[in-house]
Amino acid sequence: MKIPLQVYLFAGGLRAMARFLISSEKPHIFGSIEAIVDTGSPTTILGVPDLKRMRVSQIQLRDLESRKEPHAYGGGQLKTKILQGAKLRFGEYFECVMPIQIPVDEITACNQPTILGVDFMEVNKLKFVFDPIKREAYFESSEQQNI
Amino acid sequence: MEKQELQLLKGFERDSQWFHNNIDKLRKKNFTGKFVAIANEEPIASDKNIDVVIKTLEKEDKNPAYIFIEFVYPKGFTLLL
Repeated sequence: MKIPLQVYLFAGGLRAMARFLISSEKPHIFGSIEAIVDTGSPTTILGVPDLKRMRVSQIQLRDLESRKEPHAYGGGQLKTKILQGAKLRFGEYFECVMPIQIPVDEITACNQPTILGVDFMEVNKLKFVFDPIKREAYFESSEQQNI
Repeated sequence: MEKQELQLLKGFERDSQWFHNNIDKLRKKNFTGKFVAIANEEPIASDKNIDVVIKTLEKEDKNPAYIFIEFVYPKGFTLLL
C-alpha cells in the first residue's frame, strides 16, 4: 500500500506534502489539510492557520488534556493540547485515528503550517520515501488496511 | 457522505496544486506576505491577517475549512520547522 505525497518548492526548500481530511467528534472538527511531512518532528501538530480555518475555538479545546511540556516550534515555544481521536483520511488510500497536538491560545499569531511528524509513521507502521531529485515522495506500508 | 468528502478533498488538492505551481505569479501580483484563499484555481481572498481572509469567505457563504488558504512567503525566505 502506497500513499502518494506531493513534492513542492515551498518556503525556501523542497518539501514533501500530504493532503488529507481531518475529523473529530468532540470537539467537532472537520476540514481539509495540507501538511508538511517532517521527520525531524516527533509529533503531529495542527498549524494555527488550519485551526482557524476550521473555526476551532479555544473554548472547544478546554476539556482536552494539556501537554505538560511546550514544543520548540518555528524558533519559539508552543503549548499544545492533545486531541486523542483525530481521524485522518488520505483520499481513497488510507485512514487512521491517532492523537494529534493542537496549539493553544498563546501563539495565535503563528503562521506555521500543519506538520505530519514521526508519530504518524510510527503509529501506522509506515515508511517514508523521499526523492528530491525526481520530486517524488510517498508513504509505504507492508500491511494492508481496508477502509 | 463519503463521496462528498472525497470530492471536497479533490477540490482542495486541485487548488493546492494550483497554488504551488503559480506561486511566482502570485508574488508578482502582490500577494507576498499575505494569506491567499484559492478556489477553482484562482485567488478569491487575501490579506496579511488570516482572520480577515476567513471572514471574507464566510461573508460569501463559503466554508473556510474546505478552502485552500496558504501564506505566500517571500522568494528566498526559508522556513525552518
